[in-house]
Amino acid sequence: MNHLPEAWGRPRNDVYGTYDASYLQSSMPNQHTQSPIVTGTSVVALKFNGGVVIAADNLASYGSLARFTNVERLKQVGTHTVVGAGGDISDMQYLHEKLLDSLIIKEEYQNDGHHLRASHIYRYLSKVLYQRRCKFDPLWNTLLVAGWDDGKPFLASADLLGTTFSAPALATGFGAHLAVPLLRRVCPDEAAVENITREQAVDTIEECMKVLFYRDARSLSKYSLAIITGKDVEGAAECEAKNQSWKFAEGIRGYGTQVV
Amino acid sequence: MPSSVLQPLPLQESIHHFPVMTSIGTGYDLSNSVFSPDGRNFQVEYATKAVENGGTAIGIRCKDGVVLAVEKLIGSKLLVLGSNKRIASVDSHIGIACSGLIPDARHFTSRARSEASNWRKLYRSPIPISSMADAMGGYAQAYTLYSSVRPFGVTAIIGGMDEAGGPGLWMVEPSGVGWGYFGAATGRGRQAAKAELEKLPLPNITVEEAVRQAARIIYFAHDDNSKDKDFELEMTWVRLEKGSAEDAAVKGWGKHEEVPKELVAEAERLAKESMEGGGDEEMEE
Amino acid sequence: MFRNNYDNDSVTFSPQGRIFQVEYALEAIKQGSVAVGLVSKTHAVLVALKRNAEELGSYQKKIIGIDTHLGVALAGLAPDARVLSNFMRQQSMSSRLLYNRPVPISRVVNAIANKAQVNTQHYGRRPYGVGLLVAGVDETGPHLWEFQPSGMVLEYKGAAIGARSQSARTYLERAFEEFVDSNREELVLHGLKALRDSLAQDKELTTANTTVSVVGIGENFKLYDGDEVGEWLEKLGNVQSSRGGRTGEEAVESMDTSE
Repeated sequence: MNHLPEAWGRPRNDVYGTYDASYLQSSMPNQHTQSPIVTGTSVVALKFNGGVVIAADNLASYGSLARFTNVERLKQVGTHTVVGAGGDISDMQYLHEKLLDSLIIKEEYQNDGHHLRASHIYRYLSKVLYQRRCKFDPLWNTLLVAGWDDGKPFLASADLLGTTFSAPALATGFGAHLAVPLLRRVCPDEAAVENITREQAVDTIEECMKVLFYRDARSLSKYSLAIITGKDVEGAAECEAKNQSWKFAEGIRGYGTQVV
Repeated sequence: MPSSVLQPLPLQESIHHFPVMTSIGTGYDLSNSVFSPDGRNFQVEYATKAVENGGTAIGIRCKDGVVLAVEKLIGSKLLVLGSNKRIASVDSHIGIACSGLIPDARHFTSRARSEASNWRKLYRSPIPISSMADAMGGYAQAYTLYSSVRPFGVTAIIGGMDEAGGPGLWMVEPSGVGWGYFGAATGRGRQAAKAELEKLPLPNITVEEAVRQAARIIYFAHDDNSKDKDFELEMTWVRLEKGSAEDAAVKGWGKHEEVPKELVAEAERLAKESMEGGGDEEMEE
Repeated sequence: MFRNNYDNDSVTFSPQGRIFQVEYALEAIKQGSVAVGLVSKTHAVLVALKRNAEELGSYQKKIIGIDTHLGVALAGLAPDARVLSNFMRQQSMSSRLLYNRPVPISRVVNAIANKAQVNTQHYGRRPYGVGLLVAGVDETGPHLWEFQPSGMVLEYKGAAIGARSQSARTYLERAFEEFVDSNREELVLHGLKALRDSLAQDKELTTANTTVSVVGIGENFKLYDGDEVGEWLEKLGNVQSSRGGRTGEEAVESMDTSE
C-alpha cells in the first residue's frame, strides 16, 4: 500500500482509474517577482549651470487605485546626491532605507575624509540592480541619480535590468515619453547645460510635472522637488502643480457633464 | 576530588585588584580557558595587563550627551598628526574609545559595527547603547572560553545616545565584564583619571563642560604617568544634532562626531593652564 | 636565544601582557633589506635596497605595484607580502568595480591590518612575517602607511623598515620638515639619501640594487629599476652622505644598530 499522505483519501484506482497527481508536482521553474505591486510613476530631472533639479510626485498607486498620496520618492544620500525612484515602492524602500542608509553609515564612520559622491552611489546602485536581475529577482525600479560631483552636475539613470544611461535631461516611466521631449527642447545636449539657469531648470521641471499630471493617470499634482548645487541639497516637499488649466477637457468626450 | 572544588566560588566581578605574579610557574597560566585551582583565568588577567600599558582613555556621561577622550601617545615625530585615529564611530550614534592593543581594538570595533548594522537590518532602527554593550561583552567573553583563541587585549569605553535612555556610557573589559558608568577610565593613567572623574558632579554637567574636563583629565593623567612621551589629545562627543530639542531630560538618537577643533584647542589651552598652575582651582564652572 | 613558556603561539599572553610570537614576527622584518618611504604635498615615494642571493642570481623584488595610485615596499618574508599585495589588489579592484572609485589608501591599509590581526588571535595560524610601506595617492592627497605583522598600521611623513633601517630613520627625522614642499626629484633624492645612510660599510647604491617608485597627484604609480635609477644615483653622488662621506677613510662612527 502506498503510505504517502498524498495518496490518502483519493478515489480508488480500480473504480475511477489512475489518479492524476500531476498537479501536485510543480514542473514550473522558480518564479520571483514578475511585476511590481505598489508603484510610483515618473521621476524627472534636468541639469543646469551649477547643479541639477530633480522631481517626483508623492503618489503610490496600487494598480489604478491612488493608494498612498504622501510617499517620498526622492532620497538625499550623503551631502550632494539625491536618488529618485519610480516603479515598485517596497523595492524602493529597500533600496532607500536599507541599502543606501547603511552604505552612508559605513562610509561616514570611517572618518577618513572620504565621502561617497553621486557617481560612486550611482555605480553602486547600478551594480545592485544588475546583480539582482542576473539572479532573475530584480528590484523593480527605475532610478535617477542626481548630484554634484567633482565640480560638475551629475545625472544618470539605472533600471531593473541593470541598464545604465546618462544624459543632461532624464525622465523615467511615463515621463520618458512625455517629459523628455519637453526637457530636450530646453536642453538638447550636454553643451546646452551651460546656458540653462537654475530658474529656467526649475520652471521646466515644474512644467513637466504639470503636463505629467494632465496626461499620466497614475500621477498626482503633489510632488517633491530637490535642487542639488555645489553648496548643498535644497529640498521642497509638497509642491503643487501650478497654473493648471483643464479647459481642454470641455472639448473631450467623457469629461464633465456632456451631451452626446 | 578535593572538597574545595565543590565549594561555591565567590562571584568574580572585577579582575583589576588581583595580584598577578603568583600565577607564574603554576602552569595554569599557559592556556586560555583554563581555571586555576582558586578559580582564576590567568590569561584574561594577562590581557588586562596589556590594557594597563595603553594610553589613557576616558568617557564622561553628561546630561545632554557623552564625551570620549584618549591620550594618543606619539612614538615618533615622523607620524602624521591627526591621522591614526583611536576613537571609532560605530553606527552614527555610538563611539568606542579603546585602550590596549590597537589592532585588537580595531577588531573589536569592527565587530561592534557589524552588531549595529545587523540590528538595523533586523529592526530598522539604531541599536540602543545598552544592547551594544551587552553584545560586545558577550563577544569579549567568547574569547575567554576557548584555548584556540586569546582574550582581547582591550578595554573598550562605549558611549552613545539612544531614544530610550538618552546618554549611555559603558566599559567592557577583556573578561567580557561590562558596567555602565557616569565616568569611566582605562589605560595607563586610569587611577589618576578616576580620581579626577569622581570629583565631577556627574552626570549633571553639559557636554561643553565635559569637553573641558576631559581635556584637563587627560593632561593630568598624562602628567602623572607618561610625562616623558609626546601625546595627542583625541576627543569626540555624542549629542543631539543641532536644532533638535534641548531640555533637561534629553533623549533621542545622538550623533557621534569629533569635537570641533576650536573647542578642543580651547580645552587644551585651559588644560595646560591648569597643569602649570598645578592647583586644584580647576573645579569652578 | 632562549625559549620561555609564553612564546609557543600567538594566543598566549605573557604575564606582562605581551604576545611573544607577534614580537618575533616583527623581528622577521629586520631580516629583510631596507625600504624607505616618504611623502610631500604632491608625491609619495618608495625606495628600497634589493638583495641577490648569489652573484649570478637575480635581485629580489622589493616594490610591488597594486594599482595606478598605489604600491607597496616590503621587508621580510616576500611570499607573505605577495599574499597581502594580492589581497590589496582585490580590494582595489572591487572598489573600482563597485564604487567607480580608486580605493582610499587608509582603507586598503586597514583591510590588510584587520587580516593580520586575526592571525594574532587564533591558534593554528602564524602572524605575517613581513612589514610593508604603503605609498599612494587618493582624493585626500599622498599618503604613506607602515604596516606591521601585529596588525598595527600608522601613517607617517617618512618611514623606514628592514635591516639597519634605524640609520635611515635618523636621516628622515633630521630632514622630514623639508619633505612637505619638496618636488618630485628632491623627494626621491631624500629617499635615496636615507637609504644610503642605512647601507653597511662596504656597500653602495648601484643601478642593480636600487629600486625606486613614485606616485603623485595626477601621476600614476611607476616603478624604476636598473638603468632608470642611474640619473638619480648620479645626482646623489655629488651630495655628501650625511654620515660623513663614503669614499674617504673616515672613522667607523656609527655602529650598526640592527641586524
